[in-house]
Amino acid sequence: MTNSLQIGSRRAGDDSAVLSLQGEVDVANSEQVKNAALSLLASGVKRLVVDLSRTEYIDSAGLGILVGLLKRASESGFTLLMAGAQPRVARVFEITGLNRVFVMCADVTSALQGVAS
Amino acid sequence: MNTLAASQIELRIPRRPEFVKLARCTAWTLAAQLEFVVSQADDIRLAVGEACTNAVEHVPADACEAILIRFLVAPESLTIEVVDDGPGFDASAPPDVEDDIGGLGLVIIRSVMDDVDVVCDPKTGTCVRMTKYRDRQ
Repeated sequence: MTNSLQIGSRRAGDDSAVLSLQGEVDVANSEQVKNAALSLLASGVKRLVVDLSRTEYIDSAGLGILVGLLKRASESGFTLLMAGAQPRVARVFEITGLNRVFVMCADVTSALQGVAS
Repeated sequence: MNTLAASQIELRIPRRPEFVKLARCTAWTLAAQLEFVVSQADDIRLAVGEACTNAVEHVPADACEAILIRFLVAPESLTIEVVDDGPGFDASAPPDVEDDIGGLGLVIIRSVMDDVDVVCDPKTGTCVRMTKYRDRQ
């Protein structure tokens, strides 16, 4: 079956990076998300923004990866922010209470400025 | 009346991650065809995806090869049974999202579906049975 997720990454300034998740994050590709995030962190970023503006679906496997990154953030001293979650995806964060655990930002620009929604 | 009313549809998928999407997309399409509103169809898709993910993630590799998804269509509701041959899990245990996404998945299922039952039997496996009622939004 075709991969339903496109993962993009880019540096934003000296110490920030954006991980873009376009499509559906699920049990079939959540490890790819983890590996992409870890690659960015290995390059020394201090602020990692996960761009959810084009994420159409996320399940517990995807959330589990993000929670793992958050745990790593608290241990390693980098900042992890969620940006631009659309209603379908935002609802999954709300159902699980993770909208109160993560810093949720309106968009990538706000996240890079550290402004939570 | 929808011609699918009072029918039963079964889908059997290999117990592999890449087939979970097939199950949840089938669920969404069926819900839409049954004229559930979009938000309800989204809920049904999410619940089916989580139940299948649980079967993929938490059943020992050699325990079963397939997941059976059974759709039971009634005039006012859609019931879905997701069945695997695994040994089951503790559905009452609190979720630990760092180590146990299965627990988190069950939280999601219980949040988006109206009725949820998890039956674990060492002999017959695990069945997650969940119902969405058309008139409850």
